[in-house]
Amino acid sequence: MEIKSEILYNDRLTEGYYRLGLSWRAPRVKAGHFVMLRVSDGLDPLLRRPFGIYRTIKGKGVELLYRVVGKGTEILSQKRPGERLGILGPLGNGFTLPEKGRRAVMLTGGMGIVPLYMLAEGLEAGTLIFGARSRRETFLLKDFRKFGLKIKTATEDGSIGRKGLATDLLEEELTPETIVYACGPMGMLKAAASIAKRSGAKCMVSLERSMACGIGVCLGCAVKARPRKDEKENRLYKMVCSDGPVFDSEEIDWDVL
Amino acid sequence: MGRAVKDKAANALEVKIAGLKFKNPVMTASGTFGYGAEFMPYMDLSKLGAIVVKGLSLYPRQGNPSPRIVETPCGMLNAIGLQNVGVDDFIEKKLPLLKGVDTHVIANIFGETIEDYIEVAKRFDNAKGVSALEINISCPNVKKGGIVFGTDPSEAFKVVSAVRNATRLPIITKLSPNVTDIKVMVKAAEDGGSDAISLINTITGMVIDVEKRRPVLATATGGLSGPAIRPIAVRMVWQAAQVAKVPIIGMGGIMSANDALEFIIAGATAVQVGTANFIEPDSSVRVAVGIAEYVSRKKTRITDVIGSLRIA
Repeated sequence: MEIKSEILYNDRLTEGYYRLGLSWRAPRVKAGHFVMLRVSDGLDPLLRRPFGIYRTIKGKGVELLYRVVGKGTEILSQKRPGERLGILGPLGNGFTLPEKGRRAVMLTGGMGIVPLYMLAEGLEAGTLIFGARSRRETFLLKDFRKFGLKIKTATEDGSIGRKGLATDLLEEELTPETIVYACGPMGMLKAAASIAKRSGAKCMVSLERSMACGIGVCLGCAVKARPRKDEKENRLYKMVCSDGPVFDSEEIDWDVL
Repeated sequence: MGRAVKDKAANALEVKIAGLKFKNPVMTASGTFGYGAEFMPYMDLSKLGAIVVKGLSLYPRQGNPSPRIVETPCGMLNAIGLQNVGVDDFIEKKLPLLKGVDTHVIANIFGETIEDYIEVAKRFDNAKGVSALEINISCPNVKKGGIVFGTDPSEAFKVVSAVRNATRLPIITKLSPNVTDIKVMVKAAEDGGSDAISLINTITGMVIDVEKRRPVLATATGGLSGPAIRPIAVRMVWQAAQVAKVPIIGMGGIMSANDALEFIIAGATAVQVGTANFIEPDSSVRVAVGIAEYVSRKKTRITDVIGSLRIA
């Protein structure tokens, strides 16, 4: 049952960043879904790699954005159009659009922006707060300009936008009627969860964890959960791949990350 | 193919273990296949010799803190900590999902005490749909119990004989490779009344993050699996086969039919596919198909391939 996708393009956007188009008949892709890609048919690297879906390419397949961070993405960056990659997906629960009357604030840093594209497509309005190390990474915002979002930027070196962290810009956007959609480094998500809580806003986070299977069986991608009253079974751990990757920030025990 | 020819081809793959007939020698390894139903979207479970489900304990177990896994060269290290829903939940909620699947279901069981093992084994007295029990005495991740049963022959004997007396189901004892002499452990399991032996479980390993000078896994050490361990596993199966009177089920890094055949030629009656299930969910079925092709190409039957190693 091996599903192979053909590479349509694998374009370098800037040093270390790539845009990968895959010809793949993806059933019902939703914002926040991910795929497991097999970047090599060999035994090293052995495991598939999880990638968030950036967007669908009408009638053709899906587009992913990735940054070269290790062996797997290094191999992927060498692949050329026409080559084929094993693909498993779409996986995970994905984002749910805000209920009527709730204002959306997307909070992200670096490549955390990937699963937000399709979410932004579905929003009527909202704010996007983007954090980066420097001006260099703000090219990731280009595709988002057309959505008519209010875009706020923070960079660690102050080269563009506010000098500081994206979470510094969060609180002023929040009311109890806001929903935050956050994806980025764990530290950012933890801060977002606590700021949102303070403001009485709802907060959904998309998490990333090492995983072997992506389908809920290796139990490798566990995150510590917080017991909830409305749940029948209280599990100490939730699986990022099969219970998530999107969680209500209240579900996560942020103290142990 | 005519029916007679087809039946003959099918029979050529049939193996018997503990009085049970398996349509082919390929099973899934416990801990890599969930409770079976998770794989239904990806493959036809009926094409397997057996499904071995995730290790079950008397009560649900939450498992270890994160990080639980890390990739290694040609393998992976895991310390899941035997997270499972517990034997009662399995029987009530997971087992019924496998009804109608035409293959054997083998329940892997473990405990922290001998009494735990006995209790878990007894729960299957009235559970329809489980053909055999695989006793895990070898998980390296449980601080209490497990490691002792798996590495001390007298403890292994005690737990196996206790389970033997507690159930009428065939029992398979899953051995740890983390011992000096596997033959001693084979003997202990047999003396305890085990109907078959399965090996190897994972090999204890460790990965260190040199920047942080910390172990990558939250539990420091974990179990190594995947093709990296296969030659060790084949060697241990071969050694076990020298002394075993009961059938051996071999495993350790099987990715292909060729890998599986190494184990069978070394003396295994059947094999289990583990880590490969994470990479290609239908790996086990592909291994079964590949073995069928080999048997047909060699104009033989699987029972004639078992232990057929030639040493000049």
